[in-house]
Amino acid sequence: MKLRTPQLAALVIVVGLVAGLATVTLAVTNPAGTDAVPAVVTPQMSFAGLAAATGEPELVGMAQAQPSRGEIVQVAGPFDDRFSLEDLAFDGASVTGAVRVTSDVSEVIDLQVLAGFYDEQGNLLGTDRFVHHLGSTDPSHAHETAPDERMIFRIEVPAVLAGQAVGVALGVPVLVNE
Amino acid sequence: MRRPFSALAATTLVVALAATATLTGLVGTSLSASADDDKGRAKNVIYLLGDGMGRTHVTAARERFYGSDGKLAMETLEAQGHVSTYAVEKLSGQPGQADFRPNPVTDSASAATAWASGVKTYNAALGVDAKGVAVPTMMELAKKAGYRTGNVSTAEVTDATPAGQMSHALARGCQGPVYSDASCQDLALTGSALPTTDVRVTPIADQIARNGTADVILGGGLGRFDAADEAALTAQGYSVLGSIANQRTATKTDLAAATGQKVFGLFNRGNLTVEKSKRDNPSSAQAQEPSLPEMTSKAIELLSHKGEKGEKNEKGEKSDKGFYLQIEGALIDKRSHANDAAQTLDEIKAFDDAVTIAQDFAQRDGNTLVIVTADHECAGFNIIEKGTFTNAEASTPPANVDSGNTANNSAPTRPSNARDAARSTGIVNGSGAADAKNFGPATFRTPTDPAGVTDGSPEAGLWLSYLSSNHTGADVPVYASGPGSDQLEGTTDNTALFTIVGHALRVIR
Ligand SMILES: [Zn+2]
Repeated sequence: MKLRTPQLAALVIVVGLVAGLATVTLAVTNPAGTDAVPAVVTPQMSFAGLAAATGEPELVGMAQAQPSRGEIVQVAGPFDDRFSLEDLAFDGASVTGAVRVTSDVSEVIDLQVLAGFYDEQGNLLGTDRFVHHLGSTDPSHAHETAPDERMIFRIEVPAVLAGQAVGVALGVPVLVNE
Repeated sequence: MRRPFSALAATTLVVALAATATLTGLVGTSLSASADDDKGRAKNVIYLLGDGMGRTHVTAARERFYGSDGKLAMETLEAQGHVSTYAVEKLSGQPGQADFRPNPVTDSASAATAWASGVKTYNAALGVDAKGVAVPTMMELAKKAGYRTGNVSTAEVTDATPAGQMSHALARGCQGPVYSDASCQDLALTGSALPTTDVRVTPIADQIARNGTADVILGGGLGRFDAADEAALTAQGYSVLGSIANQRTATKTDLAAATGQKVFGLFNRGNLTVEKSKRDNPSSAQAQEPSLPEMTSKAIELLSHKGEKGEKNEKGEKSDKGFYLQIEGALIDKRSHANDAAQTLDEIKAFDDAVTIAQDFAQRDGNTLVIVTADHECAGFNIIEKGTFTNAEASTPPANVDSGNTANNSAPTRPSNARDAARSTGIVNGSGAADAKNFGPATFRTPTDPAGVTDGSPEAGLWLSYLSSNHTGADVPVYASGPGSDQLEGTTDNTALFTIVGHALRVIR
């Protein structure tokens, strides 16, 4: 075993002392026993040049959508070929409906439905969202039923917009199946 | 298991130190030292994974396609054994530690982390241990040691099995193209949200497009990637088949023409299409997707390509060092969740045909370790005797009315066992197909059934049933050939696959 850094050497010695009876070797080697310095094998913990997310996802179509009074329109998202929206209804206070996943019959791990609320002139007043996340170790999300292809959602009009929203746009920025 | 206290404490400390080493830029891996360092060493490793493929899946596919006296290709490999697959709860320690809390049923993410990184973790975790510490993967180790690397799946390449080798994520749902708190963070684990620059909450597609872990990436999931990902891939020298920016899927024609050291080809915006659907719809766009055997064959061709005279790999070494390739038959699991026996069987056949291709290469090469296994069983798949019925179809559950009999106190008796006509309305791929509430079995003809016997008939020889729509905790089979394959005889744990492959590739000692 080749030890090229004091840090690694110290670590191996400590492990050797505490391991005692156990046979433990701690090394990273290169193929064919070359003498190269052991590779640094820590996972890359971040990516230079990748813009970090700054919040929840938005859909560009929300700004352009202009639903008329009582109308519910769908704006484009990355997974529009994997679901259909069903039983949509808007009563001025909340928009309700169901997302039927058409791509797979297995657990829905993550789903987000984004709703934009619009005034009489079709101006976007604000948004809110329905978020589903399957917590695999959370008993309340245990696999009690067959995999659910149909997720029912309700998104309330934010309180500050009460009485002003007359139209709705919906889109799905997040969808993951098992 | 009982151990003296001091040994237990020592083990705990060793693992803690190993985790520290990982954080500080070193890797710690404990493995019994081998007297013969070259024993079990291979030039190449091909690791084939049938997602959700339990013991009965293999048997049923054998009976279906080759008959009771036949064998699947995987069953002809010389070493055979079983793999335990259990996961652990979130924040659990490793086996042997005081805070070890096992979960008998794994998901694909925890299982992938077990063989890719050698640690037990919680369901949904990828490339992190149960306390959320990022751990290096075998594909990262192989890549850094100068091997060429490939990752092939019939699922989205951001799905758990491929992602387990080339990402680190607290939650498998953080696949992309965008980040969201709910899909990427795990406050139960970390207390407060990690900064979004941290790899563990970075969408998996963004990671795959930037970390260069796999040279050849073939599968589905184009919808997870965006134009910035394409630019990042191109900048690293990948040939991107199709177009990510335009969301134009690659085709099997594109794949056949692909050359070069680094190839990225996604053939569907989501998971790839089941074989039966492509057969039934030959003019569909999906019929242009390559099959798993075709992707396997091409990946081996690309990774084993010796290169032009003098051509060097990225480390400046001659490019015949060997390769590490992972192949996943993902739709076995997805169709098992759906209790779709017909397509499950077809997907096992496609997976087994990929095994044939891997094994043919290994036999020509003479120095390749081939491992064929599964991550977990899915749906409690069972072969029942022709003409019988399951508890799900029965009018009375099997109550243990004989429990007071000390001589025979575990035998359930069922005074009135009968098929419930409402719960069992016929063979589900035959006369009972129209009834959504039907618990009846699916039946399939086998090669030795008389001519004229059809799938879905009561005369068919293979009767199949499902327990549930979810994973089970059963051990899974493993088949292996080549250098070091004898280590897979008997029963091993899925974390041992990490050390066996790591030793074969000399990336751990
Ligand atoms: Zn599954």
